[in-house]
Amino acid sequence: MRRPIDGLVALEAVGALATLILLCLSVGLGQPAFFTVPIIAAVTSWIGCLVFARFLGRWT
Amino acid sequence: MQAADLAVDVLLALGVAAELLCVAGVLVMRTTLDRLHYVAACTTVPAFLILAAVLVREHLTAAGMQAIATVGLLFLLNPGLVIATARAARRVDDPDFEA
Repeated sequence: MRRPIDGLVALEAVGALATLILLCLSVGLGQPAFFTVPIIAAVTSWIGCLVFARFLGRWT
Repeated sequence: MQAADLAVDVLLALGVAAELLCVAGVLVMRTTLDRLHYVAACTTVPAFLILAAVLVREHLTAAGMQAIATVGLLFLLNPGLVIATARAARRVDDPDFEA
């Protein structure tokens, strides 16, 4: 994985994994305040990766 | 150990194993588009196995509903991201590509 686009692919995988890990943690810890964290992580990770994809597609 | 606890453990183990399989695919595959197939798979079967484990434990409480929302968001949003990344990868490989 040496090209920037491969790094973006890895970032997408990490974003999905981190969201699922946060989901499991929020359920396991049982704090109601933590329940929104995985949703926010999913949306922000999606937006970030989409911006990177557009950037790499246009300027590389 | 009750049957519900056993079901949660089995579903969670299956979900983690499937996620590990997807990550191994991302690491092992050679081309960007091959890797993207495994990234797309990350948010389908493994995510729903983990959601099933959460729902068996929490039922339709606030935690269960939030888990449904999270996995639903992942499942619906990720294909768009994979398509955008595939188009960017194609454009990187072939600068004359217009789509």
